[in-house]
Amino acid sequence: MSLLQVEAVTRRFGGLSAVDNVSFGIEPGQVSAIIGPNGAGKTTLFNLVSGFLAPDSGRIHFDGSDITARAPHLIAARGIVRTFQLVQLFPDLTAHQNVEAGCHLRGGGGVWAALARTAKARRELDEAAEAARDLLSFVGLDARADVPASALPYGQQRLLEVARALAAAPKLLLLDEPAAGLNAVETEHLAQVIRAIIGRGITVLLIEHDMHFVMKLAAHIVVLDFGRKIAEGTPDQVQNSPAVLEAYLGGVDAGGVEAGGVDAGGVDAGGVDAGGVDANGVAAGSAEPAPEATRA
Amino acid sequence: MPDLTFLLQTLVSGIGTGCIYGLIGIGYCVIYNASGIVNFAQGMFVMLGGMLTHALLTRAGLPLPLAALCAIVLVAFTGVVMERLVVRPLWRRNATMFVMILATLAAQIVIERLTLIVAGDQPKTFPGFSEAAPFKIGGIAISVQLLWIAGVSLALVAGLAQFFARTRTGRAMRACAINREAAALQGIPVARMLGFAFALSAGLGAVAGILITPTQYTAFNVGVPFAISGFIAAIVGGFGSAGGAFAGGIMLGVAQALAIVMFGAGFKNVAALSILLVFLLARPAGLFGKAH
Amino acid sequence: MAGFKLSGIAATLCWLAGAVLVGYAFVSGGYLVTVLGFAALYAIFVTGLNFFMGYTGQVSFGQNAFAAIGGYTSAVLTTAFKWPVFAAMPLGIAAAALLALLIGYPTLRLRGHYLAMATLALGMIVQEIAVQWDSVTMGYTGIAAIPPLGAFGWELPHERAQLAALLAALALAVWISSRLKHSRIGHALAAIAGSEDAARALGIDVARYKLIAFVIAAVYAALAGSLFAHTVGFVSPEVFGLHMVVLGFTMLYVGGIGSVYGPLIGALIISLLPETFRSFKDYQDLAYGAALIVILIYAPKGLSSLATLWRARRAAAVKREGA
Repeated sequence: MSLLQVEAVTRRFGGLSAVDNVSFGIEPGQVSAIIGPNGAGKTTLFNLVSGFLAPDSGRIHFDGSDITARAPHLIAARGIVRTFQLVQLFPDLTAHQNVEAGCHLRGGGGVWAALARTAKARRELDEAAEAARDLLSFVGLDARADVPASALPYGQQRLLEVARALAAAPKLLLLDEPAAGLNAVETEHLAQVIRAIIGRGITVLLIEHDMHFVMKLAAHIVVLDFGRKIAEGTPDQVQNSPAVLEAYLGGVDAGGVEAGGVDAGGVDAGGVDAGGVDANGVAAGSAEPAPEATRA
Repeated sequence: MPDLTFLLQTLVSGIGTGCIYGLIGIGYCVIYNASGIVNFAQGMFVMLGGMLTHALLTRAGLPLPLAALCAIVLVAFTGVVMERLVVRPLWRRNATMFVMILATLAAQIVIERLTLIVAGDQPKTFPGFSEAAPFKIGGIAISVQLLWIAGVSLALVAGLAQFFARTRTGRAMRACAINREAAALQGIPVARMLGFAFALSAGLGAVAGILITPTQYTAFNVGVPFAISGFIAAIVGGFGSAGGAFAGGIMLGVAQALAIVMFGAGFKNVAALSILLVFLLARPAGLFGKAH
Repeated sequence: MAGFKLSGIAATLCWLAGAVLVGYAFVSGGYLVTVLGFAALYAIFVTGLNFFMGYTGQVSFGQNAFAAIGGYTSAVLTTAFKWPVFAAMPLGIAAAALLALLIGYPTLRLRGHYLAMATLALGMIVQEIAVQWDSVTMGYTGIAAIPPLGAFGWELPHERAQLAALLAALALAVWISSRLKHSRIGHALAAIAGSEDAARALGIDVARYKLIAFVIAAVYAALAGSLFAHTVGFVSPEVFGLHMVVLGFTMLYVGGIGSVYGPLIGALIISLLPETFRSFKDYQDLAYGAALIVILIYAPKGLSSLATLWRARRAAAVKREGA
């Protein structure tokens, strides 16, 4: 039984189908990925699953219940928590406070509990603070706990957003281009973090342009093009699918394509390739690579 | 049930006031299109237009056309000064929309209070542009000032359309509206366009204030109500096109007139504000805009 | 919300100065008592404003509407209907809370300048009603001879006792503000202020929490309005005009938006400063407006942020020297 089941979901904007009759299932306990060229409908699909958009038709089931067109905060309460393509932190709060605020779903007190500061409310606050410390060290940001989110370098902002999403105790974590704009060292660290998340029993579904990253991490890949699903399967199956090669390379000489050569829509995905690791490694940690300008 | 003549009479005057709201509404759109800023001090230009014309008439003894012209120029200049002193420093710093609204509202209060100190709190008015007697069509009196209002407003709306379509500056401003970064890359001086938008918008407000004063009065505190009415006009029109804002203004003027007929003069503003709330809640994209 | 934390010497000095001022007022009586009472009233109003704008990052230019409802309910019930103060006051506050709930539910879906204009309109509507409904509100003239604070036929005897009552109300208001800020609710509000989409993605019911903050702000405003009526003994539409909102914003920005004690400091400074302008109300609003613009441009997080800036700069300088 799939954890997430997307059934014939369609969403149109004007006359254009951003997501067109897409179906797939996500199995628990592994990393899955949605790939596709720019404008393929990946983020729209995320918005549909997380409730930020309602589909025009089709159903979405999660963990045994129908979550189609539910409000985002209700879907989050069911266990689907997402990050954003353009990082959405709480800029004025510190890293620690960001994750603390993310612990909302772990507590339950209202106005009266807060005013009376009941034993339960106190315990919840303590637990949120404890969870925040734990999660920051989990993603390797424990040393930056008291830095305002807006003052963190870009790569650390990405990690902080992941830590904050984990604070909401998801069953399924949706990561929207988590490696975008990261250098090679940061990308490798992120991959480790994602594996560790799986180790915590949380399922991960991600959108990514960086093919190395996807092929290395994902057990299951869904490929979109112009809103349609054109392929689905293991990394090997997807790489050898004629439809995928067609979509990415426009039918150009398919013989020379290998895993590393499949590069999303011709976009240089953060300049990551094996040869660049040494050079990038020097600047790691201090560099603040800007997100690619080509992204919509 | 009020009789038909009275109703029609009220409607006619509602259209007149509506033209004024429309002009103010266009003022909002001009600045918003050039910068994404909603200038909450829009009403002060209307107030200043009337007050300055009155001052130039009575204190400097200028003839009305000259006084009006000078007032328009002075108010446009005030618009530029406000843009330089208040808006641009915040704009440069990418201040939040809320801070910008608050700052422009504070500017409104400052100018309002300055006017109160200089000119006192007595309402002022001046004669209409022509001294001809109102003429009657089937029992409905139409004042000549109303014709002036309608004529000047329509001429301005048409002129603006030509300006945005034909002139370099107008096109540049439209380019800013569509995409500011792209406009800047094409070498359009975006910051100067902002200053120009404030001048144009202030000038439009001044014209509105000068046109309306002979039919009612002006005073230091008419700014905020006019600002809200103009904003409603802009919203009803979809907050983008000049024509839409103008139509929105007329609709608002007529609706207010109907409210006066049905509930009494005291409910003029309540009616306007209720329309605002209804539109904000039910159709924020306006009558002509696409709902999103 | 990089809230301004009163820390160390500065905090002690501030509290000491405040305590001395209040102590002196109790001893000397007279004018200073009036000024401090005014500061306390506005501090309550601004603490409410801070809830909605500082903590939650929302916009309301219509808080004067709720102050007017609190003030007028108190005024009408205690004069025309001879209600006791302790009964009229809660009713005014409840009415304001109810209106905030009804208005807030649809209105708070709006964003940016739409929300700003809708709330501005709300303030204007209530003021307009106060003018037009003159059989109840006495129109422009206003309602005078409102009884002072008291209960069960016993009225607080003199102005110093009134001030004590105001300060007690303020202390309660600030205590609640602090409690809620440092709670699960406070965290949710801070999340909404930071990014509504992110808050939603983390399971926070944004609409509900915005409404909670709006209602709390309305309750504060109504309490301030009602206390104003019983302290000054007079209400009129003019009292609850737009200038009340601008004055509130000025105080909020002077003291530091988003911090628990910012409203206190802002209200105190602004109430003390323009005493020289007291007899010229027009100059007063002029000064507030101009000060607000200058603060927005040069110290967007309030005067207190200047101290933070200065500290950061000094820390950087020390670091440079050390390196």
